[in-house]
Amino acid sequence: MDNMLEMYLYETNTLLEQLDELLIEAEKNRDFTTNDVNEIFRSMHTIKGSSAMMEFSTLMEIAHHIEDLFFYIRENGLDSMDESHKNDLFNLMFQSTDALRSEVEKIENDEPLSTNIDPIIANINSFLQKISGSESSSSENTNADEKQAESGDTIQPAGEQQIALINQELAGCPSSKLPYFIRIHFEQGSGMEHLRAFMTVTALNDLDLQFEYYPDDVETNSDTIETIVDNGFFIALSSQEDVTRAVNVIKEQNSVETFEVIENASVKQEEKKPAAQQSQAPSEKTSEPVSKQNSEPSSKQKADPAPQAAHNNTPVKQSLISVNLSKLDSLVAIVGEIVITESMVTSSPDLQNLKLDNFTKSARQLRKLTDDLQDIAMSLRMVSVSGTFQKMNRIVRDMKKKLNKDVRLTIIGENTEVDKTIVDSIGDPIMHIVRNSMDHGIEEKVEDRIAAGKDPQGEIILSAAHTGSEVIISISDDGQGMDPDKILAKAERNGILTKPASEYSQKEILALLMLPGFSTNEEVTEFSGRGVGMDVVKKNVESVGGTITITSELGKGSCTTLKIPLTMAIADGMEVSVGNSMFTIPIANIRQSFKPEKDEVLLDAGGNEIIKCLNEFYPIIRVHDLFNIETEITNIEDGILIWVEAADKSYCLFVDELLGEQQVVVKPLPPFLSNFNIKNSGISGCTILGDGDISLILDIRSLYAAFYNQY
Amino acid sequence: MSAATLENTTVLGALDAEAPVSTERFLTFSSNGLNIGVSTNYVIEIITNHSITMLPLVPDYVKGIINLRGQIIPIIDIRLRMGKPSIDYTSSTCIIVLNIDSVQIGIVVDAVQQVMDIDQSQISPVPVENQQELINGMVSSGDRSVILFLDCEQLVQTY
Repeated sequence: MDNMLEMYLYETNTLLEQLDELLIEAEKNRDFTTNDVNEIFRSMHTIKGSSAMMEFSTLMEIAHHIEDLFFYIRENGLDSMDESHKNDLFNLMFQSTDALRSEVEKIENDEPLSTNIDPIIANINSFLQKISGSESSSSENTNADEKQAESGDTIQPAGEQQIALINQELAGCPSSKLPYFIRIHFEQGSGMEHLRAFMTVTALNDLDLQFEYYPDDVETNSDTIETIVDNGFFIALSSQEDVTRAVNVIKEQNSVETFEVIENASVKQEEKKPAAQQSQAPSEKTSEPVSKQNSEPSSKQKADPAPQAAHNNTPVKQSLISVNLSKLDSLVAIVGEIVITESMVTSSPDLQNLKLDNFTKSARQLRKLTDDLQDIAMSLRMVSVSGTFQKMNRIVRDMKKKLNKDVRLTIIGENTEVDKTIVDSIGDPIMHIVRNSMDHGIEEKVEDRIAAGKDPQGEIILSAAHTGSEVIISISDDGQGMDPDKILAKAERNGILTKPASEYSQKEILALLMLPGFSTNEEVTEFSGRGVGMDVVKKNVESVGGTITITSELGKGSCTTLKIPLTMAIADGMEVSVGNSMFTIPIANIRQSFKPEKDEVLLDAGGNEIIKCLNEFYPIIRVHDLFNIETEITNIEDGILIWVEAADKSYCLFVDELLGEQQVVVKPLPPFLSNFNIKNSGISGCTILGDGDISLILDIRSLYAAFYNQY
Repeated sequence: MSAATLENTTVLGALDAEAPVSTERFLTFSSNGLNIGVSTNYVIEIITNHSITMLPLVPDYVKGIINLRGQIIPIIDIRLRMGKPSIDYTSSTCIIVLNIDSVQIGIVVDAVQQVMDIDQSQISPVPVENQQELINGMVSSGDRSVILFLDCEQLVQTY
């Protein structure tokens, strides 16, 4: 059951995401293409089917009504709607997908589904009425028919006239604009021909084809049996290619006796060129389809949403499988072990001073293979940032409407790949920054932009790029930029300045934005300005080992840059020793290491050691003192100082010896140890060294806090 | 091994439905002169001579972590944990690796003794006045000695 739910959530979320992208794209073009309509129709159908199967009735209801709506649109063509209708439709669709998404979220969080969905359904229905109101009564009639068909009702309501008309048409050949027909005869005496015909239609639906079929009310009207027996069942298709695909499906259908492909050169010409004629009489199979047909069509739809979804995906997506993240994690962990074990074996002390040509050769080969294996294992966890970036489209769109600003979002490098956990954790920060840019960055009035000589339409550029072991994500806008004086004044009011206002440099002023409790906008708006803005963003980015910087030029716009490591599972570290213990300092945190002279070290007012580097004083933290490690090296001249920096903290660590640089596989500490608040004592994890020993990875930021909490 | 034990007990229980003699298998070890038993359901393995990497800024009974075939396992000294003085580790000192509700933890004990089946109905609670942290029951064995039972859940409890 859990597995099914997982599948359901995955599928529904994917569909909703695709739908969102599609809607955004369509809104840009201010129109739906036929393809879009079909796509939406299909997605809603799948969501409806799978929701019904999972018994999420609210989701099913909403999806059902949207499906109805798009069924109507599909039948009547997009031209039946004028501009304002389309506009309404976009808004309605965004509302509806939001409603669906919030329901799905509730399922994810194990909350009860909302029971009151009447407003949204009423909205959809009234819109449907509005666009269908102008139509002629006959089309409404068919619409009613189709609706009936959708609900799986078996009572036939269709007007007799219509059937007669269709029958007449069928006596010759159905009149249709499409150039190809397939005429199907079912086995004689097989019974329920109309349902057999409908099953064929359902099977063709899965193919994602454009087609029509005659008689078109086979699902609900049992009177069509006669027509089908006499004239055959017609499927009209638009191209030779579609015909070939359809023929393949029809061949698979049970109880199809013969079928033929007819070219609709002119309406009169019948059965001139039977391009393919095949007979298929699997009489032994006939008992099976009868039982299938007895089940209601709607329940059949419920049963196969998954394969249908798979079909939907095939043309656009690569072949993908979804794998539980924990499985990947354990794979990566094992590969990490293999890499370490490999180096343990090849550099084993037992082998030293032996001349082993063949062994060395094989060992080199093994190393190459393990390196490849590691690369592949790492790449498995990599996903492109496009999903996160595409979501911003929606945010920009919504805020554009609300704030009445004309802004376009330009996305660059959305195919950049980043570790999955990192993608998950940068979504919120990026969203926050984009919102800030929309809300505070872009000018309130178009006139201001024109006066400043800028394009009246604002632009937000979201870009991602690789640089070695980091990915750089930047969000820039061409808005009004940030006014350093205003920021300074605001910071002063909030009492977060630590030195006289005049001493702040531009860079420091912008850094103020990321302090807790800072919000430049006077008013709290719906989107930003709750005062939990940038400091939370900064924290989130730093929690994945990244850094964030803001640059801004008054009147020209501002740019926020996130630098994030590609993966957290492997880090470049500097191994240092203190007494018998070994520690790993992330290379990213190290600025410099040097041997201090005794008289360089001074004492500050509190009696703590400080040292001057590049004209500034930094505190010295003796690791052996902090961690109570016994070591012979306590004299500052015997050991080595490592100048480290993390976020806004910068200081020098005193250790015994540098052992060398190494790539390490980061392992979390056992959860049991979180009882002892180990995360706040300057240890972020550990790693296993080549000889099997454990080295603790220092967290430069929390180490500083731990040092000051001791006193 | 632990799975087999589980099965044994359930089979036994099913056979003697009216007189439920449910025995459980316990590994006994000594620590500071006490004989302590721990259900073999929890025991993964016993290791000796493993180098422990110390952790800074933790209570003294947390000896550190070890690398057990790629897994990082925290180690606590059961003497210190129960408030007893520590002694230098000797050749008989060993680490019992336990898996308690999927939390893996190693405990340092003075020496392991034996594995024995104990009838659960004979386990009596510890007298109130002699309450001892981490002990949740006791049983007297033949030769006038007493075996105490380790409360594993309390051992890994989060505070």
